[in-house]
Amino acid sequence: MTNQLPILLFLTPFVAGVAMPLLTAKRPGWCRPVTLGTVALLLFLALLNLVHVLTYGPMEYALGGWAAPLGIAWLNDSLAAMLILTVAFVAQVTLLYGYQVTSPGLERSMAYYALVLMLLTGLIGIVFAADLFNLFVFLEVAALAAYALAGAAGGKSAVFAFRYLLLGSLGAALYLLGVGHLYVATGTLNMADLAIRIPGLLSSTAVASGLIYIFLGLSIKMALLPLHGWLPDAYRNAPNAVTPLLAATITKISLAAWVRIEHSLILPGIEVGAVPVLVLLEELGVIAALAGGALALVQTDIKRMFAYAGIGHVGLILVGVSLGNATGFAGGMAYLINDAVMQVALFMIAGALLHLHGVRTLDELRAMQTPSPWLTGSLLVVAIGMVGLPPTGGFFGKWNIVLGALEAEHYLAAFSVLASTLLTLGFFIKVFACWFHAAAADAPAPPEMTAPLSTALGLTAIAIVGLGVFSDPIFHLLVGFASGGGG
Amino acid sequence: MLELLQDWLQRPNFIVFVILFLWGFYIMMVHPNLVKKLIGLYILQTSVIFFLVAFSAKQGATVPVIETDSLPVDALRYANPLPHVLTVTAIVVQVATLGVSLALVSAAYRSFGSLDENELLEEVERAA
Repeated sequence: MTNQLPILLFLTPFVAGVAMPLLTAKRPGWCRPVTLGTVALLLFLALLNLVHVLTYGPMEYALGGWAAPLGIAWLNDSLAAMLILTVAFVAQVTLLYGYQVTSPGLERSMAYYALVLMLLTGLIGIVFAADLFNLFVFLEVAALAAYALAGAAGGKSAVFAFRYLLLGSLGAALYLLGVGHLYVATGTLNMADLAIRIPGLLSSTAVASGLIYIFLGLSIKMALLPLHGWLPDAYRNAPNAVTPLLAATITKISLAAWVRIEHSLILPGIEVGAVPVLVLLEELGVIAALAGGALALVQTDIKRMFAYAGIGHVGLILVGVSLGNATGFAGGMAYLINDAVMQVALFMIAGALLHLHGVRTLDELRAMQTPSPWLTGSLLVVAIGMVGLPPTGGFFGKWNIVLGALEAEHYLAAFSVLASTLLTLGFFIKVFACWFHAAAADAPAPPEMTAPLSTALGLTAIAIVGLGVFSDPIFHLLVGFASGGGG
Repeated sequence: MLELLQDWLQRPNFIVFVILFLWGFYIMMVHPNLVKKLIGLYILQTSVIFFLVAFSAKQGATVPVIETDSLPVDALRYANPLPHVLTVTAIVVQVATLGVSLALVSAAYRSFGSLDENELLEEVERAA
């Protein structure tokens, strides 16, 4: 039974998502309990899967019993198990939160819940896929659900969701082109087989351009600067209940997909045409981390500011995983998991501000009464996590990226982590200055928060601290994964 | 120079792929009309599918259904099924993308009564 966990994890949201229209056509009130129950089951299965992987080691799952070269392989290792647990947690929190903060009509809309479940299906597929083409299909399943969710409010959101769709599909086409190149050169799509054949073929231009196309395609999906153009407007205009989920999952899981490819195909020290590939990737990450942080600092719209912060952190994670040593890799991946949780919290706060107080920009924030203590407390925790102070998980992620950079003697990378930390601190100071600004006496009192909203905020705050408290086992697992154990 | 040109002309399929890809990309980026952007995207995606088909073409090969029991099988006589499977899957993905994008375009048109991107952005600015 436990050997079938990967497919159970995949089928749980898939079956519920497909069955949603049938189940709830006559009873629209069922949408929410069914979705919450499904995701709770998913969370339980993800925990079970993590325990299973930790006990029995990594496992290759052959779909339909067809082994790897002929069939499609899924890889269920410690990294996949942790990422799926993160995704399930993030989805559960967003659904709890969505109860209060939804656009009119969305809370009873069957399509919203069905799309969230399809998004989860796609994400779980991406995380498990050990086959480049399988990865493409799941990338598109997740992306299609994300486009539809981003445009769910109609009007403005549809315009920007359409731009997201155009660029996202361009990314998918580039990725497919790269997969075609690699298939022509190697005759296989399985990542394990590719890892054996690619090192001997690096002088081939087909392999090099294939890897470049794959990276370009996934860069658009993970919003790596300067290919981030679709992200801020799409996130700003998407419904409040959707943005946290998109921000925490789409870019992070696309990045995780690239990390899996990079980790198995691009070994440290590999050069293509005298260009050290990993160093190049690291420099791209440095640029994204610094520019993303700087752009966040100059925004006046709260959601856009948080979106640029996320873009900067994608760069930071790319720096960590491209350092070529286990410390940096583990730091980067630990930070990825942390960042997913922190992005959920950030956009939940931004959405709650917009929904409860009608606040979109910093100026409007300055003019209102100090918000509810739940919001203030959770913003404080997130700020500590994003800036990277102990005991939050953000600190241990950044710390290990810096240690990895020093170990590799890449001082620019170490500098970029510190500089991006300062930029993050800078924009949080801007937010807090407006937050605690004494409002005019006639400003309306803030409305009450409902229990699900404060529960969601509390859960993420606990998770941010919890990831710091348990950073030691997480870090050891990731180091073990990076140094080739896989488990 | 001439040799390079000759090299290129050996592979007309790939030249067609490059032309289609860049053509689609150009339409997608330059035309302000959302539906024309979609047409550009469609051409671009189709060019990638054309690329997959082009490299898997095999002369004198037949469908990969083995009719004899005797081994070994002569692989040269059969087309490689995998690229074709990829192609079919990619087409399905393309169709799904087209459906979602048309839904988004029609949602934008219903709200703002225009398909021109510049006008839409003006409307959005005004609404904000």
